[in-house]
Amino acid sequence: MALAQESLLQALLDGTRDVFETMMFMTVEPSNEMYEGIDGEALLGSITFEGVIEGCLGICTSLDSARAIACNMMGADNPDTLSSVEIADAMGEVANMVMGAVKGKIVASGDDIHVSIPTVVRGTELQNSLGDDAHEITETVSLDESIARLTLLYRFPA
Amino acid sequence: MAKTLMVVDDSATMRKIITRTIRKAGLSVADEILEAGDGGEALEKLKSSPVDIVLCDINMPGMNGLEFVKQARQDPANANTKIIMISTESAEDLIHGVKADGADGYVTKPFTPETIQKELSPFM
Repeated sequence: MALAQESLLQALLDGTRDVFETMMFMTVEPSNEMYEGIDGEALLGSITFEGVIEGCLGICTSLDSARAIACNMMGADNPDTLSSVEIADAMGEVANMVMGAVKGKIVASGDDIHVSIPTVVRGTELQNSLGDDAHEITETVSLDESIARLTLLYRFPA
Repeated sequence: MAKTLMVVDDSATMRKIITRTIRKAGLSVADEILEAGDGGEALEKLKSSPVDIVLCDINMPGMNGLEFVKQARQDPANANTKIIMISTESAEDLIHGVKADGADGYVTKPFTPETIQKELSPFM
């Protein structure tokens, strides 16, 4: 299984678009602005995978942006009515669905990738790590009025 | 007559989203939609509160959706219960496999109300 970084990046972007446009009615576009981190606290939704390729997919965004995502996803009239648990849960589901979409685009018939249960952490300067031997794809995307940082860390098992 | 439903997903948020989507799809369903957090809880609830249709996630901690289908189909009490899987997994062999084990339908996440309506309509 040989996958070019360009193919994985495209799968990551296409998968993210599929999820956000279908479930949240939000437009996803690569951001042309220089990424300078997320101001204040952020939420990072992550999911790991293993099989013919192994690694971790992460989506990191500000608390306000995560609240907007959860609000659209759940069809809530007022974002302020959502609890922090619901917002975190929504971010985990976003990571889960994007991983499913990416997996569907990169896994050939007969190959298999096992996906974990998603996790979500809250804090500042959040990032996943898979060790020095991992490849990394990162892309900053605009989500309507806000941004999100997509990260795909991966390696091929020996 | 309105159908009775159960939504099985480890994410409470996703259970809410699925429930809202079902209502948005305009299907004739009972006012109360039962919920369970994994396959084991769903099997327990089915014993005391049988439903017409179960919508079940696959990737869950505890008993996952694949095991739930197998165990649910071993109980004759669930013979008439329709089981629709809802998952991010889209591999054809997985879909064929879970249908062979007894699932009646399959919806891939992300989904629209139209997708849910199309999959559930034959059982309404």
